[in-house]
Amino acid sequence: MLAISALFSACGGGGGSDGSASAPTAPIVPLATANDAARLLDQATFGVTASDLAHAQSIGISAYLNEQFAAPATQYTGYTYTPHTAPADCVTDTATPTDASSLCARDQYSPFQVQRDFFTHALNNPDQLRQRVAYALSQIFVVSSVEIYEAYGLAAYQNLLLSDAFGNFRALLQDVTLSPVMGHYLDMVDNDKPNPVNGTTPNENYAREVLQLFSIGLYQLNADGTQQLDSTGAPIPTYAQATIEGFSSVFTGWTYPALPGANSTWANPVNFNGTMVAFADHHDDTDPKPLLNGYTVPPNQTPEQDLTNALDNIFNHPNVGPFIGKQLIQHLVTSNPSPAYVARVAAVFANDGTGVRGNLAAVVRAILTDTEARGDQPAGNGFGRLREPALFITATLRSLGGQSDGVYLRGASSNMGQPIFSPETVFNFYPPSYQIPGTQTLAPEFGIDNAATALARANFINTVIMQSGAAADPTVTGSTGTSISLAPFASTTEPAALIAQLNQVLMHGSLAADASNVMLGALQAVTSTDPTAPARVASYLILSSGQYQVER
Amino acid sequence: MKRRSFLAHAGALAGSAALGQLGVIAARAATTADYKALVCVFLYGGNDTNNMLVPIDTAGYANYAKLRSTIALPQAQLLPLAVSGSTPAYGLHPALPGHQSLWNSGSLAIVANVGTLVQPLTKAEYLLTTTVKPESLFSHIDQQHQWQASISSTSSSNTGWGGRLSDQLASLNVNASVPPMISTGGNNLFVTGAASQALVIPTSGSFGLSGYSSSSADAARRSALAQLLNIDQQADLVAAAENVMTGALASSAILNPILSTTDSTLTARFGGLTSNFAKQMLAIAKVIEARGTLGASRQVFLATLGSFDTHTDEVNRQQSLLAELDAGMTAFHGAMADIGAGSSVTSFTLSDFSRTLLPNTGGGTDHAWGSHHMVIGDAVKGGQIYGAMPTLALGGPDDEGEEGRWIPTIAVDQYAATLAAWFGADATTLATVLPNLASFSPNTLAFV
Repeated sequence: MLAISALFSACGGGGGSDGSASAPTAPIVPLATANDAARLLDQATFGVTASDLAHAQSIGISAYLNEQFAAPATQYTGYTYTPHTAPADCVTDTATPTDASSLCARDQYSPFQVQRDFFTHALNNPDQLRQRVAYALSQIFVVSSVEIYEAYGLAAYQNLLLSDAFGNFRALLQDVTLSPVMGHYLDMVDNDKPNPVNGTTPNENYAREVLQLFSIGLYQLNADGTQQLDSTGAPIPTYAQATIEGFSSVFTGWTYPALPGANSTWANPVNFNGTMVAFADHHDDTDPKPLLNGYTVPPNQTPEQDLTNALDNIFNHPNVGPFIGKQLIQHLVTSNPSPAYVARVAAVFANDGTGVRGNLAAVVRAILTDTEARGDQPAGNGFGRLREPALFITATLRSLGGQSDGVYLRGASSNMGQPIFSPETVFNFYPPSYQIPGTQTLAPEFGIDNAATALARANFINTVIMQSGAAADPTVTGSTGTSISLAPFASTTEPAALIAQLNQVLMHGSLAADASNVMLGALQAVTSTDPTAPARVASYLILSSGQYQVER
Repeated sequence: MKRRSFLAHAGALAGSAALGQLGVIAARAATTADYKALVCVFLYGGNDTNNMLVPIDTAGYANYAKLRSTIALPQAQLLPLAVSGSTPAYGLHPALPGHQSLWNSGSLAIVANVGTLVQPLTKAEYLLTTTVKPESLFSHIDQQHQWQASISSTSSSNTGWGGRLSDQLASLNVNASVPPMISTGGNNLFVTGAASQALVIPTSGSFGLSGYSSSSADAARRSALAQLLNIDQQADLVAAAENVMTGALASSAILNPILSTTDSTLTARFGGLTSNFAKQMLAIAKVIEARGTLGASRQVFLATLGSFDTHTDEVNRQQSLLAELDAGMTAFHGAMADIGAGSSVTSFTLSDFSRTLLPNTGGGTDHAWGSHHMVIGDAVKGGQIYGAMPTLALGGPDDEGEEGRWIPTIAVDQYAATLAAWFGADATTLATVLPNLASFSPNTLAFV
């Protein structure tokens, strides 16, 4: 790592020409090899396909990223408002799907359909990078079906993240803050000013988590993401309890958007479509509110004025770039980025090259074009990330000509510890700080890798590779089941050639030589006359191996 | 070719387990005479113990009801905790009738106002900026970490006290065929040691590798899989993933028959209970029932129950959560008695923190600090509250500020040390497992 870092000194502040997403004259950064192109697609998409690989290699990384930034955004469609309290006849009766209420609970009041859509979008839609970034953002700006059980609410929130993924962080922060979905999840909605009769005070939930998880974190950071330390060697908190109370007062006076045709009153009924609306007479405007870095919001402002001041205060905190930038690197490229890599990305967050702070497309470009991410070999022994369950699933299918309606995949992902959009808490499925036990190696996705989930991974591969996948679900409209196609490998009869072919398709040629030798023995023992049987065995073994499961 | 971190221990253990299955089972048959298990129940999100244990005398309740205003529980619903020779001073949350019975039979002790501390703190000391306090008070992830580590600094601890205790008592588990720490609540710092970590078991479905027949082709594929899991290309993360899978293959072969049994004598105890928490406790009970064949003398378990972060609608939410806890723990304690392990198994709660005495405007409460905890087992000296209950007053002598966040009067270290001492840790071991224990006196309390 040290040697690699030294090479980067020529890159300066990292705010260079390829940091600007929309620069029309972005330089052509070649993808030197097919392996580098495949590595890029592992980082920027939901799995390498042969056609994406050929395309990315032919046009180069810069044009590829421009294409991806410009691609029409995936949206979750077909979801409509349902009342927060389900109708009495709303059940899930898959045995007799005879009327609209038979599957109401599953389809309207659970994440089932949204999770299904997540997988079909990831497998099929062209805006792969936007979806990857939105999925990363969904694991930073977390909401969960544990509380947002209405499907239309979950869909609305994911649409927000998809729309904002390549916009400005300040806009994303505001849209998330005023989302009634987030409002419901972290209790900013209906957060009332203090009540002197009851002695009650504003709810502190959103105030605390927007700082701790969505923007600046607990401790003052250097620009490279490392912690600043005081004279005793201790980390320096970014805020105190008084700051939380200041923000909790700022975040008062907002309720759900009114339902269409209804009068808007304080404490509108639950509605996840649109943005929250303010009521000044429920806003705590009496006292000055201490925020970050010594800034204080004055009294007697409107809810909107307070919010603008507070979000600007957060957005301009120097922690945001390294705090968010490092997490995006971890979600897209590697669990243990060097401080220099974080610093280069944070510099682009601070200034995209045109003087703009918070340009997320520029940040994503900086992450994916960085020297530490690129090359046909990983940058050191510590490089890489465990494919999280969703990405393990989609990469397997996309690389092997798979198709799915998402029904089986959503359950498989849950069994592996990652129920899509349904983490148990706002702290996501795993924290960015998770370390491999007994080491200092960061490995967030290992937070859900254990005996139970590791076996679930292998058993998923057994189902899709060794078995015939999963059958269509007659209770789901248009259900196709889940399957892959190994036909392209049936004509390769020589075991070593077959292994080499799958090594290229699944692992961009990075399989260890002795792994190929081990697999030869298993291929030579195949007795089935099915022409795809050897390919099944070989792909089962590769996909079940640690070498595949850790994307490098 | 192979680079292994400490996780090699897990692999080595699993390897010896496979050998054990082949021929050494007899050697460990006699170990259960000296068997103990600690069962940690982590209540994620921060359980509001101000509503779990409530003053029930006239003056005490009136003060409570005034301060808790919108979320005060009705006095008549509280379950009195009988104390021989005097009038009950406290009542349990109405969702905890099973716990009230355990109190009455002497198998439930309550430890008051436990929390993360670097050193004992009076309020005056707390208010001094020069006093050393736990890092990141009131933050979920940090306070969870510090409760699990029993070290009040998130950044300087990457092992848990259950894990370190298990490391230190490894000599009692040399005959164990599966890792002596087992979690039904996923990966968790509490059960992570420097030399060992918990096996995570599922609470439903099969625990094993699917898709293998007895054919020679499948045998060759299985052999190849095992060999592939030994090739890591010197990459840290690859090695780590392989270690997890290798351990899973070895342990699941032993545990799956135990976990999947339906004729366990324990199943009836859990009849009608469908919650995930009940499933966790049943799985743990099954593993304990098989202690004679699994060969460990000291097992540490972790179960979890979440969603205690009741910032809104607290009264309803806590009611259903504590009802789940009550049903699961009651069944588990009964099951332990059924299999003759009532005195060998001690369960106890941990949680992020308690919650503000002062409600917020949403009918909920916010993150606080010191909290009350429940310890269950026939070895427990139950029917008593250990430690001092905080004075329920905003800005009062126990409040760090103005919203009712109690400065703990018992350190996590003391709570942990008491359980660890019962488990078999001597003074030297305690000092190793709990490096900051010397800052608190007495080192252990008398609740078990």
